[in-house]
Amino acid sequence: MSAIDSTERTHRDRCAIAGIGVSEFSKDSGCSELALATRAAVAAIDDAGLKASDIDGVLRSDYDTVAHNDLADVLGMTNITYWGQSGPGGIAPCSLIGQAVGAILSGQANAVLVFRSLNGRSGQRYGQASTKRQAEVLGGRGTYDEFFTPFGLMTPAQMFGLMQQRHMSQYGTTAEDIGAIALACRRRANANPGAQMYRKPLSMKDYLDARMISRPVRLFDCCLETDGAAAVVVTTTERARDLAQSPAVIRAVAHSSGPRIQPGQMFPALLRDSITSQPARYTARRLFELSGLGADDVDVAQLYDCFTITVLMELEDFGFCETGEGGRFASSGALELDGSLPINTGGGHLSEGYIHGMNHIVEGVRQIRGTSTSQVDGAEVCLVTSAPPPASSAMMLVADR
Amino acid sequence: MSDPVTPIRPVPITTDHDTAGFFEACARGKLVVRSCTNCGAVYALPRDYCRECRSWSMGWKEVSGEGTLYSYTVAEHQIHPAFPVPYTVVLVELVDEPSVRMVGSIPGDHELEIGTPMQVWFEEVADGISLAQWKVR
Repeated sequence: MSAIDSTERTHRDRCAIAGIGVSEFSKDSGCSELALATRAAVAAIDDAGLKASDIDGVLRSDYDTVAHNDLADVLGMTNITYWGQSGPGGIAPCSLIGQAVGAILSGQANAVLVFRSLNGRSGQRYGQASTKRQAEVLGGRGTYDEFFTPFGLMTPAQMFGLMQQRHMSQYGTTAEDIGAIALACRRRANANPGAQMYRKPLSMKDYLDARMISRPVRLFDCCLETDGAAAVVVTTTERARDLAQSPAVIRAVAHSSGPRIQPGQMFPALLRDSITSQPARYTARRLFELSGLGADDVDVAQLYDCFTITVLMELEDFGFCETGEGGRFASSGALELDGSLPINTGGGHLSEGYIHGMNHIVEGVRQIRGTSTSQVDGAEVCLVTSAPPPASSAMMLVADR
Repeated sequence: MSDPVTPIRPVPITTDHDTAGFFEACARGKLVVRSCTNCGAVYALPRDYCRECRSWSMGWKEVSGEGTLYSYTVAEHQIHPAFPVPYTVVLVELVDEPSVRMVGSIPGDHELEIGTPMQVWFEEVADGISLAQWKVR
């Protein structure tokens, strides 16, 4: 299969994000993940100018503890006709938008709530070895963990350390190059009152002096661990035009695994052909084809940033710079508000909060509405990615024209 | 206060249908890769089906135990009590089968160079259970 049917089956511009909502982002929410999800969902539905009874679809990340029936009941939805999930983990947000679009265009739902909720700091911390990886016997059941974790390779920071070291050795990428990504995200968070790092500056000296987590990964190369939730409402563009906000139109959404994705969970990504290029490379091609837009058309980007090196690889995989040039591109100032590609204008995972990619969608909508705390002048096209290593999803949000 | 307890070193599962053969070989001091006995295709992570020739005749192929350092990271943030920091996690590409990479770990903080020749050795982590470990050759 090569050519994509771009006429009859296109989803281009046919759906939009009509509402956005977030909870407070903190280190200790003091409430359940269901309560957090409820806060974000209520805010998103109110923002759209809808009622809970107008929502007939609910989509979740496979890592969420909150299920469709939980939210449907707590919010008072009267009849949900569509639900589902995507993952693993951080792939979900844009992928779920794709599911929402599919459900709406195939007549299975009219208004779909997409959410992510986690007590990522006070509850299960992804920066630690997961419970199953602290067992006495490791692996099996298709995880292939037995080839990785018995050696002490247990956390995402260690895995991304292997990727970052390879990139630095292969292409001459420096710590300062990578630090430029952390600093760009932090500056945007400094202006965002909703960000965990609001008014908490970070200098290059602070970045370089911080302790190593898994060399060459330093403390500020790692995302935050956050208690919080974010949610959006997707409906048809036509209907969104009659609602409370100007629509953030979904120009196109795409997923890709690429070839030889490897079976198992997380660590097998280290066995793919390259560890410095990710499935995002394939997602980019497909997204550009489906959207009719290219890297040059992007005014602002919300790039999935579990680690700084993830952003660097996306810069290359999405074609914003040549392969191997991501570090020099980042340190050129391109990622700043006045640069050619402002990124993560709410602060991203690195400095706003880690809502597993869902806060990137919320911020993307803000840019299209013109309401970001770091607004890019005249932003009409925003790329949003959801892209940890196992696979990748992304979308283009555009202004309604 | 109780006496400090030596943390239990976690071990790989050795009864998984797809991966047990690898660890059986390690226990005998042999390094093997999953390979199709029909067409010779090699798979970094074991499975029963060959996607290249559509056969179900997978076996284990012994390889030399020589590798090349593909990447490494030095864990400095303490995570698991059985793995005191610092330790160096190595990702090694097999000389005989460059499509296959394996992970190892070396106690301590090591400044290494990608491309460095590596050699497998077998570390018995529990009775009858060995890991294929890697050291600088």
